[in-house]
Amino acid sequence: MRERLLPHFLLVPAFLIVLATTIYPLAYSLVTSFREWDLTKQRRPGDFVGLGNYLEAATESAFLNSLWVTTVFVVSSVVLTLVFAFSMALLLRRTGRLHTFTRIILILPFAMSPALIGVSYRFMFNPEFGVLAKGLGQLFPVLEGIPWLADPDLAMGILVATDVWHWTPYMTFMCLGGLASIPKETEEAARVDGASNLRIIFEIVLPQMKGVLLVTAVLKTIFALKMFDQVVTLTGGGPGISTETLAFFIFNVGFKWFDMGYASALAWILTLIMMAISAWYVRMLLSERKVVAA
Amino acid sequence: MKSIKKSIVLATAVLAANAMAWDATPGKPYDGATVKVLSVKSSQFEAHEARLASFEQQTGIKVVYDYVPFPNMKEALTTEMVAGTGDYDVVSVMDQWVPSLQMLLQPITDEVAERNVDLSDFPKAHLRHGQLNGELVGLPVRGHVQLLFYRTDLLKNAGVTAPRTWEEVVSVANAVQNSSDSAGIALPYGKLNGQNLMVWMNLLWGKGGDLFNAEGKPAFNSDAGVAATDMYVGFLRDKKIAPAGSAVFVEQDAVNSFKQGNSAMLPVWWWVRSQLTDPSQSTLNAEQVGFTALPSVAGADRTTFTNTWIFGVTDGSDQKDAAAEFLSWLTDPALERDVLLDPALSEVVSVHMSNLRDSEVNQRWGGMHQAAAEALATAEGMEFGSNWPRVAEILETAISTLASGEDTNTRSVLDKAAAEIASIR
Repeated sequence: MRERLLPHFLLVPAFLIVLATTIYPLAYSLVTSFREWDLTKQRRPGDFVGLGNYLEAATESAFLNSLWVTTVFVVSSVVLTLVFAFSMALLLRRTGRLHTFTRIILILPFAMSPALIGVSYRFMFNPEFGVLAKGLGQLFPVLEGIPWLADPDLAMGILVATDVWHWTPYMTFMCLGGLASIPKETEEAARVDGASNLRIIFEIVLPQMKGVLLVTAVLKTIFALKMFDQVVTLTGGGPGISTETLAFFIFNVGFKWFDMGYASALAWILTLIMMAISAWYVRMLLSERKVVAA
Repeated sequence: MKSIKKSIVLATAVLAANAMAWDATPGKPYDGATVKVLSVKSSQFEAHEARLASFEQQTGIKVVYDYVPFPNMKEALTTEMVAGTGDYDVVSVMDQWVPSLQMLLQPITDEVAERNVDLSDFPKAHLRHGQLNGELVGLPVRGHVQLLFYRTDLLKNAGVTAPRTWEEVVSVANAVQNSSDSAGIALPYGKLNGQNLMVWMNLLWGKGGDLFNAEGKPAFNSDAGVAATDMYVGFLRDKKIAPAGSAVFVEQDAVNSFKQGNSAMLPVWWWVRSQLTDPSQSTLNAEQVGFTALPSVAGADRTTFTNTWIFGVTDGSDQKDAAAEFLSWLTDPALERDVLLDPALSEVVSVHMSNLRDSEVNQRWGGMHQAAAEALATAEGMEFGSNWPRVAEILETAISTLASGEDTNTRSVLDKAAAEIASIR
């Protein structure tokens, strides 16, 4: 009996920590999302307003804009990161000193703080002294003097680029792990049969990498949905509201406008979106495994 | 040599006497009390702390300062407000935060009156930020005005003098651009804590407009508001006297542009002056940088958008009288003058008209305070409601949208912003 209870007993401290740091705040924010709480007027949450905060979100143009901006950002960022990561993994799967060295160098962007990346890119795209703005202007005179971050589309493009630059190394390593698990025999057999490199990649490697790529996509999607740091330090959500992501908007509502009830509702909407996407990916992953098992 | 030494000793004695001009409540009624102060980190406030000995000696009150860097200050104050534990007796609060932190502060009207603090010596634009719902909740200790800094060498080469109106700014900027590689004027149009509103507000007032009407409804989308916005955005898009990249400039970018010699004029807070000629961060020297009061719109009074830090007593404090005693010392003009004239310091900040017009102060700082006094004499400041952060966000987004060219219809952008603000007020 004691031996049976011991594992449960040992789990209690960890459970209590998770309860205090994750489950309680989540539950509290869920309850708060149904209440009115203007922090400038009340120290504690006020009256219940039912679905009022959620309905406000459904009709508020700023929220709908942030939802659209987030969608554009997530799709661009996830697709580009996966394409680059998979391509780089293919290039780096060989062994050798140069490849090992490149793999080590590759991790550097991922080691950088996202906020610092935003600040650095803001400097680099400064039209007066930014090294990238000046360099591009020198290489392509037509780009000289372009205020990169002042254009809504270019600003979004640069935001996506910084995120892809930041995450590609990590995702490359995930893909390298996946590639290492593919049996070499299938590729060799195809090569003997005269298949081209491209055909081998698309018809042999990619199908076997589907599981790894799905996991990579789930992770990248969740990280992209939370995009906040670079928005703050690179674009400030501008120009206008063209780069205001959902996480940035929620921060403004909660910690600049002090509307905690509404901010909680928005945070739960973001959580539900992430849960739904994760569930969809996992379902795809499981169905994939069933097909393989069959 | 002896006479020089004598003069220094005499001057020091006069300054010290001035610093001691404040009178404590007789009988040391608060002897033994401890006043805890939560303050934003600032060399001016550190200079006050360094002068606490005489106050503590006269009152028997011990004062303990805790400093928080500016980026974290609002969170620290919010935490103090929500907790309501009275960990601090006195707090420093920036003007635009006061309404949203109103639960943190308690009225001090009576306590200030008992101590004969001369409220008429504070510029109206600063004092109003310590008032809430008809009560005094704080006294100004730090306040900023905007000045127009300009490159004396570039203006001289172009054969022009410092502009007095915004209309003249355009002609001076064009003259400079025609005779040098520098842009005319560095202006912030990007989004960050409402920084792109600070020059625009002066144009709005100068054109006879205002943010809100008497009923508190948005009024910035009036004809005057549209004209002011067209003028401000026009500096960048039509007149092309601001650097092309300034569509995303925040205040520091504009300052950097001036410091790096890329722009000839810069409207900005007066405290920035020391940065502009600091060899460790600027390419300019003192002879190259001049200043004047912020230009006005032709035919209108000179004015300036202001920034004020008030010190108030927290709602949870159980040392209200001792805290008020400290506040009366902290806001003594003689203390401020002592800091302004301290040769070991480089503190320009003044919130007392008596000091702003003081000949010695102006002699030390090259007349900067007189220029500030001129602007402050007619400056009204503005009322920040509890929803100001949201209002500012909407307004700065409108300016950013127009400056980036995302939308070029000024009236429609301002109408949309006005409707959005009306729905939250």
